[in-house]
Parts: sequence; C-alpha cells; structure tokens
Amino acid sequence: MTNEFVHKWSSQLKKGTLSFIVLNVLKDAEYYGYELIEKIKHDTKIEIAEGTFYPLMNRLKKEELVASNWVEQASGIPRKYYQLTEHGEATLVEMKDYWISMSETIQKLF
Amino acid sequence: MKNIEFKSISAQRIYNDYLKRVERTISILSEEDKLDMLMEINSHIYEAMQQGSNENEIDKLLTTTEKLGLPEVFLVPVVAEKKLIQAVHTFNPKHVWQALKLNISNGFGYIILSILYLGLWVFGFLIFTKLIAPSKTGLFYMNNEFKGFGFVSNGDQMNEIFGFWFVPIAMAAAVIFYVLITLLLGLLKSK
Repeated sequence: MTNEFVHKWSSQLKKGTLSFIVLNVLKDAEYYGYELIEKIKHDTKIEIAEGTFYPLMNRLKKEELVASNWVEQASGIPRKYYQLTEHGEATLVEMKDYWISMSETIQKLF
Repeated sequence: MKNIEFKSISAQRIYNDYLKRVERTISILSEEDKLDMLMEINSHIYEAMQQGSNENEIDKLLTTTEKLGLPEVFLVPVVAEKKLIQAVHTFNPKHVWQALKLNISNGFGYIILSILYLGLWVFGFLIFTKLIAPSKTGLFYMNNEFKGFGFVSNGDQMNEIFGFWFVPIAMAAAVIFYVLITLLLGLLKSK
C-alpha cells in the first residue's frame, strides 16, 4: 500500500473490527490464544499485533462476551481455551446486522 | 506455573528475562490475575516454540517475543483496567493513585479526577497545618484585599477570616471532593 493515508485508515479499520472478527471466529469452535491468533491471521490475512490480542481478550471477558478455561496438557503447560458466551452470541448477531446495514449504506455512496 | 525449558542457555536467559519483565509490569495486579496473565504469555511462547521445525531456538524465541511486543507497552491496558476496578472497589489511596497514573492518557475525565484527588489531599494537608500553625493557614485578607488561601508563610501578618472554622470547612470540602471522585471513578469505569 503506497498511500500513507490509506495505510493508516486500513490499520485503524482492522483494529476497530478485531473484536468483531474474534467473536465471529469463536462462534464455531473454541480456541486457545495462540491458535486463535493463527486462525485469524490465516482466515483474514490480517497481521495481528499479538501483544494487543491478550488485552482485547481480557476486555471481551470482562464484558462477558467470551468465557475461558485452562486445560491441562501433557507438556505441563496448560492452554487457555476461549468460548463465546450466550451474551456473546447475541451481541455478535447485533454486530452482524449493524455491519451489513453499514456496508450497504456505504456501498450506496460508491 | 511450569516454566519452559530451553536447550540453549542464551534462549533460557532471554525467556527468563522476558517473563520477569511481564511479571514486573503486572506486579500491581492481584495474585490471581498475575498468575493468569503470566500463564497466558507462557503458554503463547510455548505454543509458538512448537511451530516450525529446524529454526534456531534463539531465533524462534526472539521472533515470538518480538511479535508479542514489549510487555511494558502491550500489557498497559490490562493493568490500567484492573487497577481502575480495584480503585473503585477499595478507594485505597494507593490503588486510586496508581489507577490515575495508568489511565491519565485515556482522556480528559482522568485529568479532572487527578485535580480532584490532589484537591482532596490539599484540604487534608491544610487541616493538619491549621492545627499546628493556625496563624499561617486559612483565607487571608489585608486592607480589604484578598491575599491568599491555604498555607501562607507570612500569614501571621495578615487577617485570617475563618479562624478555627477553617477545619470543619476544609473537612466539608474534602468530603465533597471525595464524593465527586467516587462518582467520577464510577462513571469512567462504566464508560
């Protein structure tokens, strides 16, 4: 991306939609932190700043949109699995509706 | 928490140092939150180290920690948020001060809060000085002209208006500041 303005705008957009992406990914299965980051990178081609991912998960948990539990592993280093809560599912439906209506509105401007 | 074991001494040292920095950054959190965050970062590093095959252990570890970023930077939102919750629940001056310091960059509300908090301490301090140096503490006038409020070094040469009423007045002001701080903290937390 050569245009600096577009570059800044797109990174702001990605940052703003990251929670929406995380909730979408979690609607089908539960993932542990590292796996979730890799899944998002793979599916969306978005390079997540990995450090910022954990504070985001913390916030989603505080808002009760996701829940988590530690699962022991043979290695002795447990994984923290994240799941979407009922409140998270309902919120995701609302977010999707808003996303669709906003995208339609913007497309009308093209 | 089980630490990751590395073959190379240098990798072990880099890892230990990184975890120490994480620990230092989150040191103000509760023991439970601290352990949870440490385990999460530890798990992330472990999982990342299991990926790929022949890459050098040190290179792989450095890439992982580089992608995570500086603990002192990326963990600030977690620490700031947790501290704010703690401050609202306990109103312990230590927690309130730390919450203000961490959240000051989040906006104007916190600047107001800091001023109110400073005001609270100022009134507390003035009550104390009124008791030990009554002639230098209060609202001062000289020749019908306002000269100062608070602790004034040459106050004994001027007229002080409130006398010992200053103590209950300062107490009332401190209570008002306290209530305002509590309300504002609650408001900022729910934002």
